[in-house]
Amino acid sequence: MTADMQGWGVWLALSAACVGTYICRAAGVKLSGHIHQDSEVFRWLSAVTYAMVAALTVRMILMPLGLLATVPLWLRVLICALSIAVMVSRPQRRLVPALLTGTLLMLAYGVCRANP
Amino acid sequence: MTHNRFANRREAFWRGIHDALGAPVLVLFAGMVGFGAMGRSHGFDAWMTGLTSLLMFALPGQVVMLEMFISGSSLLAIGFAVTLTSTRFVTMVVTLFPQLHRRDRNPLLYLWVHMLAMTAWAVSMREFPHMRPQHRLNYFIGLALPCWLISPLGTVLGYFVAGWVPAAVTLGLVFINPLFFLLTFTDVKPWANRIAIGLGCVLGPLFFVLDADSSLLLTGLVAGTVAYFVDRRWLRPRPLEVST
Repeated sequence: MTADMQGWGVWLALSAACVGTYICRAAGVKLSGHIHQDSEVFRWLSAVTYAMVAALTVRMILMPLGLLATVPLWLRVLICALSIAVMVSRPQRRLVPALLTGTLLMLAYGVCRANP
Repeated sequence: MTHNRFANRREAFWRGIHDALGAPVLVLFAGMVGFGAMGRSHGFDAWMTGLTSLLMFALPGQVVMLEMFISGSSLLAIGFAVTLTSTRFVTMVVTLFPQLHRRDRNPLLYLWVHMLAMTAWAVSMREFPHMRPQHRLNYFIGLALPCWLISPLGTVLGYFVAGWVPAAVTLGLVFINPLFFLLTFTDVKPWANRIAIGLGCVLGPLFFVLDADSSLLLTGLVAGTVAYFVDRRWLRPRPLEVST
């Protein structure tokens, strides 16, 4: 594949992805006029969606591409577990502190690795 | 319930802006900075990465697109997979927009819907019951607009910052993405969706080893359908018997 074709491919992929995403939003607007939010189809669709996003997330953590792959697996899992612990430590979820915990721990690992 | 929280629509709009400029904008900004860094590390150009956030504005879909393009998937497969990842918008919109005032439920919604993201949706679902229907659209726009606008900025910033900061910082940024999704899962309430997430976490890597391309779709269909039926069969409260 030439570099030029690859460049076109990126833009086509972006267009396809944008159109696909917007179609879903528009479909939501269209359907929101007719369909009840308690219908069985939507419960099913929502479960399918959550399963897909979960699969994607786990894949990004357990089998990442690029820089994250250089971090040992056990450490990635440990940092995730600690962040979740911060998140659920209070009934009202603490997303920002949990996000910071994970990010800073990962940052700390990177610093330690660079200066052994 | 429908007490007069706002004097007018203008006030509702500014309250939305006010509520956005906290956790919602921060989370989206961090996520998009991470996405920008990811685009850089995968060798995409800055324009493309920034435009993705502006025009798609759906982080999971954006990540799917990036990863699939890198792994050399076909255009059709990318479009299909991204569309499927975005099917959650159908559900989100269907649960949110019927709460708007009748007067606001017009074709302009096709414009506003583009600014909808998981964060703005979650906040709106929480706040809508506490305001009058005629104020809800303005509140939503005030909330969603900053979230949308910050995203391309965060993406482009993340893209360039990833170039000259130490690898340790880039590592932290790239990690924000999966961590953010993982953390939002703890906030999911319906049992069908919770089971779907649990099954998806287990089946996802399994299907990925079997066939990488179709693994997301396959995981979604299998895990989602099983979760739906488990919930329907055993967990859901029985519908009330209609006595004659």
